[in-house]
Amino acid sequence: MSIVEQFTPLFAPKTVAVIGASTKGNALPNVFIRRIREFGFSGDIYPIHPAAAEIDGLTAYKSLADTPKPVDYAYIAVSGAQIPGMLAAAKGHVRFAQVISSGFGEVDEGKGLQDELVQAAKAGGMRLLGPNCLGIYTPRGRVTFAEIGPKETGPVGIVSQSGGLGTDIIRRGLSRGLKFSGLVTVGNCADVTPSDLLEFYLADPQTRVIGMYIETAKDGRRLFDILRKARASKPVVILKGGRTQQGLAAAASHTGSLAGDDRVWVALARQTGCMLVDTLDHFIDTLLIFQTLSPRPQRPTRKVVLFGNGGGTSVLATDYFSRLDLDVTPFDQGPIDALAALKLPPGTSITNPVDCPVGTLQQDDGRVAEKILDIICGQGKPEALVMHLNLSAFVGRTKPEVLDNLVAAAMRVQEKYPGQSHFILVLRSDGEPALEARKREFRDKAVALGVPVYDEMANAGHPLAALASFERYRAARGG
Amino acid sequence: MMKNQSATAVSAAKAAGRNALDESAGKALLAGYGIRVPQSRVAKGVADVDAVMQGLQVPVVVKVMSPDILHKSDAGGVKINLRSATEVKAAIEGMLAAPKIKGARIEGFLVEEMAPSGHELVIGGLRDPQFGPLVMVGLGGIFVEIFKDVSFRLCPIARIDAEEMLDELKAAAILKGARGGKPASREAIIEVLLKMGGEDGLLLKHAADISEADINPLIVSETGAVAVDARFILG
Repeated sequence: MSIVEQFTPLFAPKTVAVIGASTKGNALPNVFIRRIREFGFSGDIYPIHPAAAEIDGLTAYKSLADTPKPVDYAYIAVSGAQIPGMLAAAKGHVRFAQVISSGFGEVDEGKGLQDELVQAAKAGGMRLLGPNCLGIYTPRGRVTFAEIGPKETGPVGIVSQSGGLGTDIIRRGLSRGLKFSGLVTVGNCADVTPSDLLEFYLADPQTRVIGMYIETAKDGRRLFDILRKARASKPVVILKGGRTQQGLAAAASHTGSLAGDDRVWVALARQTGCMLVDTLDHFIDTLLIFQTLSPRPQRPTRKVVLFGNGGGTSVLATDYFSRLDLDVTPFDQGPIDALAALKLPPGTSITNPVDCPVGTLQQDDGRVAEKILDIICGQGKPEALVMHLNLSAFVGRTKPEVLDNLVAAAMRVQEKYPGQSHFILVLRSDGEPALEARKREFRDKAVALGVPVYDEMANAGHPLAALASFERYRAARGG
Repeated sequence: MMKNQSATAVSAAKAAGRNALDESAGKALLAGYGIRVPQSRVAKGVADVDAVMQGLQVPVVVKVMSPDILHKSDAGGVKINLRSATEVKAAIEGMLAAPKIKGARIEGFLVEEMAPSGHELVIGGLRDPQFGPLVMVGLGGIFVEIFKDVSFRLCPIARIDAEEMLDELKAAAILKGARGGKPASREAIIEVLLKMGGEDGLLLKHAADISEADINPLIVSETGAVAVDARFILG
């Protein structure tokens, strides 16, 4: 059976069993039942309960072995000691069991119980997720543990050792425009590990970019082998927890993770082309760039043009980008002459960074910007173009449609020079609620068009540098 | 020594309960993988020296061989730049009288040709409990010890990995002959890295037995590389 077939019951289950739901309807598993119904799950839901005949209007069954159809996915949140017996009793009737409960390998007194759990899952003939996690979010299967999240299936596949961080990724992803092919929280990884899910996502046609939050890789050698064989066929972004001595101690008590050598992770990234990031923001920013832009190994990103309003912002961004080994050098004479011929108002800088005050940008309802962008892309030929707009500076000075016109102009220029420059939009704001709302509306439109949107230049720099390094890796290794 | 013989040497040492390979076994292991080591002979004592010196180029270095002494220099068990059998004999007599050597179990004295001058590098390896063997490279002395200017990769490495390991050293320019120095043969370093960390390399082949390896120094001239000292921790 292929890896995709093996994991299909998890990502698109037809039947879901729930252990731990109460007849009063207020336990976490009751919430789970409500959430998957709201999310549009259309398969059978089987509450498992020792005594009740019915839970939340659904027929309840005494054991995992008693359900009318085999169980593709079982969600289990009851006290730990009774779970091994329940799994062993399933006798091949369950494909995947996810144990939400904690009190296993992450605490000394639970290590024995975790071993029992693994043995029971084996005896019961199922794969085990967790324990000590939160659940899965799989839009293709209409199953979710999270309160909110994008309904559409997308290209970003996630495995997270932390449940809470998994929730953050879904929620922030929603507001940033990320769309997921799935998100699995694996907690203590007693059986299914991040490597297993990496293998699935690499093979899964729905997934184009993979994100992993990892605290430990018990099967590190296997992780390395999988990444090595994949030859960077899909971008893999790794957010590694526990890279310092103190972080390691925190990880040990969080998910029972063992000590790891940070030099290994740096080596792993350099050797396999996966990308190590340090913060949740970098993680999401990097996933977003790979969701929206297609890497171009045949012409790795180096030359970047910055275009927008804000002189100081342009200078600081030039510093920041150049520290990231991105090249913001002035244009050759050709594009400079062409830009000069536009006779832009004083205060416009045309060398790269191209700094245009609002006055310039609003000329002719923003259509002057199209001429500038045409020269940048057609003659400057950068590998990436970052357009930054300080929304605060537009307030009260322009018609509202100027912003739309600017983005529309950029999109038309993109179409005119296909594959020329990665296009990134930075929408800067000051946190004022009306402006934030406008930004959000704008961002959703842009991301839907395949344009990654960032809050500040620095936030755009990191993912662009990651994209560049991925392209260089593929280029150097014949990708 | 061929690879399979050196493998036998590793398992024999492990079976004998040793936690490290002695220097001559370590160098034989390297030689088995095609890594150049200085010509050397073992003298059991002063009486062997004349015979041992036949066929060796001076200057030579003498090193005490003892399972009790891991840091030979600190114990006074290394004498360099010896130009005759007489000087070698005197060095051995001096060592036998040294306080840190006197009481140790002595298996002999390694008499070895001195490497030509060149850049001092360290090439080593360690075994991570989760990821298995890694190979590392750095420049010797302060670069490794103070600046921690080393690069690591998981075994096996390919040629491109070896190239990138060298390129990411902060001291990379020194190897290319910065500040009027002579360049080190890049090809020779890459070869040693591959013989240690490559697909058929020493570290992967002996991953079950060797927990730590250290060629320190690897002397690299414009034309070649010689492993002058090597340490292998078993386990």
